[in-house]
Amino acid sequence: MKKYRNYFVNKLFWLLITTIFAFILNFTLPRLMPGDPVAAIMARIAQGMSNSTGMKEVYEQYAKLFGTNQPILEQFFLYIKNVFHGNFGTSFSQYPRPVSDIIRSSILWTVCLQFPAIIIGWLIGNMLGALAAYVKKGYDKVLMPVSIFVSNIPAFGMAVILLVIFGVYLRWFPTSGGYGFDLIPNASWKFIWSVIVHYQLPFWSIVLTTIGGQAIGMRSMSIYELNADYVKYSRFMGVKDKQIVGYVFRNAMLPQVTGLALSIGTMVGGALVAEIIFSYPGLGYTLLNGIMGQDYPLISAVTLIITVMVLLANFLIEIIYGLIDPRVKAAQSE
Amino acid sequence: MHKKFLFLLSIFIIAGVLLAACQPAQTAAEEPAAEEPAAETVEEEAVSEDPAAVAASLPREETLYFNGQQWGSVVCWNPYSSNCNNAMALAQQDNARVTMFETPYLYDMLDGKVYPLLADGDYAWDAGMTQITFKINSAAHWSDGTPVTAEDVAYTWATHVKYNTQFGAANKAYIDTIEAPDASTVVVKAVLGEDGKALNPLLVQAYLSSNYVIQKAWTEALEARTNGDAAALMADIAEDAVFSGPYHKFFTDDTKVVMIRDDNYWGQDSSMFGKLPVPKYLAHVIYKDNAAGTTALQAGEVDVSQQFNSNVQDLWLKDNLPISTYLPEAPYNIGASLPTAFFNMASYGLDQVAVRKAIAIAVDYDTIISNAMTNQSATFTQVPRSLMNPTPGEQALFDHDAVADLQWAGKDIEGANKLLDDAGIVDTDGDGWREYDGKKLQYIATCPNGWSDWQAAIEVVAAAGKEIGIDITTNYPEWSVYQTVVTNWPLPETGYDIFMMWSDGAGPTQPWGRIRHLLSSEFAQTTNNWNGNWGGYKNADADALIQEIPTLTDATALKADYTELVKIYLTDVPSFTLMYRPQAFHTVNESVWTNFPHEGDGTSPAVPPLDLTDGWSIAGLYNLTLVK
Repeated sequence: MKKYRNYFVNKLFWLLITTIFAFILNFTLPRLMPGDPVAAIMARIAQGMSNSTGMKEVYEQYAKLFGTNQPILEQFFLYIKNVFHGNFGTSFSQYPRPVSDIIRSSILWTVCLQFPAIIIGWLIGNMLGALAAYVKKGYDKVLMPVSIFVSNIPAFGMAVILLVIFGVYLRWFPTSGGYGFDLIPNASWKFIWSVIVHYQLPFWSIVLTTIGGQAIGMRSMSIYELNADYVKYSRFMGVKDKQIVGYVFRNAMLPQVTGLALSIGTMVGGALVAEIIFSYPGLGYTLLNGIMGQDYPLISAVTLIITVMVLLANFLIEIIYGLIDPRVKAAQSE
Repeated sequence: MHKKFLFLLSIFIIAGVLLAACQPAQTAAEEPAAEEPAAETVEEEAVSEDPAAVAASLPREETLYFNGQQWGSVVCWNPYSSNCNNAMALAQQDNARVTMFETPYLYDMLDGKVYPLLADGDYAWDAGMTQITFKINSAAHWSDGTPVTAEDVAYTWATHVKYNTQFGAANKAYIDTIEAPDASTVVVKAVLGEDGKALNPLLVQAYLSSNYVIQKAWTEALEARTNGDAAALMADIAEDAVFSGPYHKFFTDDTKVVMIRDDNYWGQDSSMFGKLPVPKYLAHVIYKDNAAGTTALQAGEVDVSQQFNSNVQDLWLKDNLPISTYLPEAPYNIGASLPTAFFNMASYGLDQVAVRKAIAIAVDYDTIISNAMTNQSATFTQVPRSLMNPTPGEQALFDHDAVADLQWAGKDIEGANKLLDDAGIVDTDGDGWREYDGKKLQYIATCPNGWSDWQAAIEVVAAAGKEIGIDITTNYPEWSVYQTVVTNWPLPETGYDIFMMWSDGAGPTQPWGRIRHLLSSEFAQTTNNWNGNWGGYKNADADALIQEIPTLTDATALKADYTELVKIYLTDVPSFTLMYRPQAFHTVNESVWTNFPHEGDGTSPAVPPLDLTDGWSIAGLYNLTLVK
């Protein structure tokens, strides 16, 4: 148990170090982008006006307001102070909207789209991959090429294919939005049904691209494990097939679990492609706009959430690995 | 046996997946058919005045849907802010958006005139050209029922100045004060020039059709709650704003914005429109890109499309959809602005007129217009280049014959080569590229990345360079970088030799405003320059004419000045127009609503194709009828 405590403390220590560096990078990297966020706002304001003299004064007002004219170190301490108060600041590109409000309104769409899609895609993919490895024969010959083919269709390609076939030609599903274009959110069955219908195309565009990759990975891992010495030995020993399969898949699962945890960690980054093609509300597109508009507070907040989730996911995996696979713990604590 | 079982299991899973995908499909497939009865049911519910039922869905036959105006979420409803990203409600510009807040006058880009909205009758300058007087329509009232008064107009201006809003900052050099001698009379006093007359009468007039009148009482409440802090005042989301227009906020989220009609709107008075606008709701779904917007337009989920729909004619010619544009044939819309390529005057060799003009006349504009604009622009043979947009009002402002020799339609490689040869700018070292003073002419043409129509145009410009021995390559920085660079002189030594920016569209100060922004040296070589003349061109003669025009009232003198400016522009070529672009794209789907503005629709004054929201085009909302 002492060994495990050392392992845990060691991991926690590294988690803290990584978090500090991630924090600094989260603040610094967006600000290293060339360009000026206040100029982007000015550009928007100036269009369509007969007379945009006096813009210099307005520019200076905004620069002062956003603190972009302050020394970078001062901006950094202000940022740290705000984050510890749970305040991500005010968005530049959607000023005066608070960043927390922007994230709150879009994160649920993203998580509800991504989380089930990742889980379902992962489950189906792994199941198919394991079956391909175990059953082989015709099954493998069909499944493998199909998986490789599907997993190599880029996400935007899959989304466009689904959109054109099921949205434009067959008209089975709506082509854009999170719910009906003629609806206002409310607690009616009509609205819920509309959300479900609008959910289908973005959801399947993610699931289908996930399945292929997972299936390929799981198949290779399973084939590798099926040929491992312990499997052959167990067979010679007359251990039941069912029990061997259990061992094999438990071992083959390890890297797949890591992949799953990382996918869930990066999930809040949003399914950008699906969100854009289906005009689905979500954080991915918001983040993209934030980057385009050099909205430092928004970019920092979203990347901070992603960083923290990935770090936590990694940390949890390592802790769980330590528990379920004694080899990992032994190797790490040496 | 075991393997067979697993095989069957996997078949079952795959079948399950497919069925799961198809299950909602079958029901959804019935949706379109079910849509009509659904709309009827909702309508009945709406009639029953049950707020919950009305809130649940928008009756299709009472809602006018838009696209292309609103990108991203609405941030605020504050008419003092210029940063609300609220395209359905707020746009204080040349053709002001008057759905929620209103201006004293409405500009009609088709005839270049203004028509009273909150004002009663025409405005008048005094004899000495020092101030404008106009009356407020006595029928006009705010959404809270109180009358709109001259004091509201005066207080709005005072607030703009006091808090240095963008609208105050932009106009205070030209407008001194706005006063209200009595409840219905407004006096706008201009800043006077050395001659004792208004420094710039055009900009003073333009204020009346570009800027909203905001209620004094509400402004005072806003000031009280923001404690007189300018930043807080402009950052207030103002959801309680009192308004005078026909529509106001009904619902917004990250996917749509919906406005609802105010059935107590003053404009139904016989002195104004005499009735309410037809659609009860104005709705705008927030599409993520043009492609999504076009798909929705095709599906009949959009009635009025203010976005670039590539090859728009295919929508009715090939797809047989009830979709149309303002003009039945190319260019489909009225061109109003002139997307322009600027020469960086500080780039090596571009200070030479021969080089600038040779590039400009070698460009194949027809290719730009057919590729980048899919023919949604008049060609330069149809509307020869000048400084004016293709509207008849602007075209009449200069002497066409006097400038005919200077105009070019493009793709004149021979002429360009001759021009360069005559100027002694030839290829001396035999590498295929011309040199000026022994240095190879080598430029980078640029525009923001992802602006596909501009990128297509810039590629054509670069191709023209190669034809005449000038090495032009392209580069596309991100907009965030691009706009920071071009608005701050000096431009970098390389990378921004030929670059695209916009020019003004149609408006009450045009074409003077556009010409000023293209040629006036007051903007040349400055920082934070959102006005124009980004290439740094200076010409004292042009400056004098630009300064003189706003004070001229004699039509002949005006025409002479404009003609002279066109001559200067076409001779010196500090920048050149690449295409004509409409003020707003205006494509309509007539599956639910009809009687939209079209050329020759018989309206008087003619309703311009500005999406029934901007300037006089709002009058189009009163003419709509249902198809069924």
